[in-house]
Order: sequence, then structure tokens, then C-alpha cells
Amino acid sequence: MKNYIVFFLVIFLATTSVAFSQDNISPKRKQAIDSLALEKVKDLSKYISIIGNKETQFSEANRVMDRAEELFATGAEMGVSSINTNEIAYYKVRRYFERLMALNYDKVNITWYDIQYVSDLERQPDGRYVGVITVYQRFEGTSIETGMNYKDTTKKDITIYVEKKQTQIAGRTIEFWDVMLGDVRVTETSA
Amino acid sequence: MRESILIFAFFITTISSVSGQGLGSPGTLQDDGRFAASTKQMNQFFRRFNGEESIDGTSRFYPGDSLYQNENLRKGFVSILFDNQTSSISSSLKSEFLSTLLSPNYPQYLVFQKPGWLAEVDAVFLYKGKRENVTFIMKIQPEGLGYEWVIDQVIFAPFKNLFNKPTGASKDFLHPLSHELGFMNMRRAFQDSESPESFTPTTYNPDYLAIFLYEMKQNNLKFETVLGLKFHFFQIGGWYFEVNQFNRPGYNTGWLISNLMRLGPGDKETLMRYIYDQD
Repeated sequence: MKNYIVFFLVIFLATTSVAFSQDNISPKRKQAIDSLALEKVKDLSKYISIIGNKETQFSEANRVMDRAEELFATGAEMGVSSINTNEIAYYKVRRYFERLMALNYDKVNITWYDIQYVSDLERQPDGRYVGVITVYQRFEGTSIETGMNYKDTTKKDITIYVEKKQTQIAGRTIEFWDVMLGDVRVTETSA
Repeated sequence: MRESILIFAFFITTISSVSGQGLGSPGTLQDDGRFAASTKQMNQFFRRFNGEESIDGTSRFYPGDSLYQNENLRKGFVSILFDNQTSSISSSLKSEFLSTLLSPNYPQYLVFQKPGWLAEVDAVFLYKGKRENVTFIMKIQPEGLGYEWVIDQVIFAPFKNLFNKPTGASKDFLHPLSHELGFMNMRRAFQDSESPESFTPTTYNPDYLAIFLYEMKQNNLKFETVLGLKFHFFQIGGWYFEVNQFNRPGYNTGWLISNLMRLGPGDKETLMRYIYDQD
């Protein structure tokens, strides 16, 4: 968490051409926020790959789940639908990770496509900004006993909340923009 | 049409060769251009429609950027924003629509925060123990420091069937001298009649949303899930179009225009009535 703050402070201080008091997000600042948000999404993708990996020790998977959960705002949910049903099944983030860890395959390989899409940021009534980052994930699960091999590609639309926060550094109040992940819509694609 | 195919081909070739920016981990899979071509979010639909992002979607253009709302960029983008596989929108109608959008004197754009676009959400609720489909018509409104989606109407079959106001001779009524009897015959309306709505004005329209909210507060309705979503757009003067999500193999996927209509006088009101009432 501290790394994120330091990372963003560097970017933030480099782009202080916009006054602190101004709440509008300039294109330059938006780029900085996008980078921070993408870092969090990258971390999430890394954590998902580790949690899903059958070679990951149970204790390690739990530790990674804790880290992954920290990326999310309280109460965030995963809404999952498949090709066969448009109905969304809802899971709390932790539950989603636990289900991923418990999948009944001998080998699981989770990889990500080299594409992401970052939306504009819109302001919500409480003053926070909200955006959505779309990424694509490839899942492959193999069961040695049955020889079953399951593959799917899912689109993940990840909510990001962007909020201006304050911190004290050497007695001075510094404002910075923080990013938290929110609800995630997981859609199986036909690809 | 030929022109738009050429633009589309150019578009696909370009995005297929975009180098990956990936999620950074080793073994990242390379998109063959299909995900790049897909209109992945409604946000991207707006940006493409207005010509406000690069072909590969990695750069957002702002006022002052040389390509911001560039006419050729828009032309290429709009041609790929139609569902070209299942919808039967004629090429001539598409061209006419494009001419309206790109009019040199009065080019038209979509604006996220402005009225004139609606979301139609299909959901499932448990009502008195039974799964029932519910349709919500939603709109964006300013609130507090920003914006929010709000429910403007609810379409729920069990409620619609509640209000079948009889007409003509079969309609009950309170006779015009009821006041002389101190409305003692109201008993007829509230006790004997199975259609108390018979005693409402000709202009009466039930407020289904109020009933829906009341039933929710009484715990008679329980949310189950969301089934589907589409959008209705009236922001382009003289035109209506519908946007649906297409999840299928190929390059013509994501949020695409599935229905396009030129609007004559009174057509907008008729369509709005249809969307809101589902008559």
C-alpha cells in the first residue's frame, strides 16, 4: 500500500501544474490515475493467477487472497455470467477467490491478454470519481483422472474508485489521488 | 458501403498489428485484434461515435488534440459501430445517418451527461415466491457533486394485469348525483367492485414505480439477478437508435447499434411511449 502512495506521489508531484484546490481531473492527471489503476489491476491479475495455480501452497494462497482483498473497496462483489446463461451470479470478492482456489482441476493455467481498456472518469454524487477498466483472461483447467480439459476466456470489467486524499509528510499536508477497485463484472466470451 | 468496408478492413489491419501493452506478466497472450476491435464498454461506444480516441483505443483525444472528433476517424468508427451480422439496417439508412452526424455545418455528437439516452435493464425478482421478470427504464441525472443512474419507470407484468380498466357499458361508475347521497354509494367502488380503477378519471395512469417501491418496502419483492441490458438513444436530432451488446466470435462484437430509425414528427413521442409502457 505504501508503495502505491509513494509511486503516485512522485507522479502527482510531477504534474502539479493544476492547482490543488481544483477538483477537475486534467488529461495529464487522468493519465497518472490510469497508470495507478492499471498497476492495481495488474496486481489483481497476478494474484488471481497465483490463487488459481494448483502448485500454490494453501497458506500462501490465503496470504495472497488477503493482499488481493486489500485492493478492493469494502463490499465489492464479482458478478459472473456464462455463455449458457445471462443471469449474473454474485460472489463477495473473498468467496470468488476461495472458489477459484477450490476448483477441481489438477492443473490450472490463468493467463491474460495483452489488451486493456480504460474508461473516462465520471464524478458520482459523493464527489468520488468512478471508472471501469476492461481486461481479458484465459483460463485452462486440466483434470488428469478424467482427462477433462476446460478452457474459457472471460472479459473482466473492473470498477475503479478514485478519491482525493490527504496525508501528512514532515508536518505538511499533501493531497494525493488514491484508487480502489470495486465491483467486477465477469462475462464469458465466445472467443 | 464499399467505402465503409474498406475503412473497416483498414481498421482491423491497424489494430491487429498494435503491439501489446499487456498486464505485464510473462506469458501474456497476444490479442489477434478481435478484442481490440470489440466495442468493449459503452464509454468506448461514445468515444468511437464522437471520434475521441485512437484506433487502438489506447489514447483518449481531448479538445485541442489534432485528431479530436476528426471527421475521417469518426467515419471509420461509426461504420464499425453497427451490428452487421444480425440487424437489417440498410446501407442507405446508415449513409444517411452518417451524413447527419458529419454535417459540415452542424455535426452531432453524443454527450454522456445529457438527457436523451436511456438504459433498459431486464432483471429477475421473487414476487410472492415466484420468479418474475422486471424491466427498468433508467436515466442519468445530476446529483450532489456528480451524476447517478436513477429508475425512471418499471415494467412489471403482475402490476399491469392489476389495472385493466373496463370500458364502455361494462365499466362501473358512480352516477352523477352521488354527491346528493353523500357518496354513500362509494361502497360499490370499494367493497363490491373488482375493478376499483373503474372509478378513476379517463386520464388516470397508475404509477407502477410507486407500487413497485411499496411492494419492496413490504418485503414482497426480492431482487434475484440482472438478465440483460440495452440502450435507447434520442440525442441525434431526427434519429433514434438502439445499442445492444453482442457477445459472439469475430470482429463485429461488443456494444453495437442494432436498430436505427429516422424520426418523423411525433415518432419520438410514440417510441418513448412504447419504451416506457411496452405497449
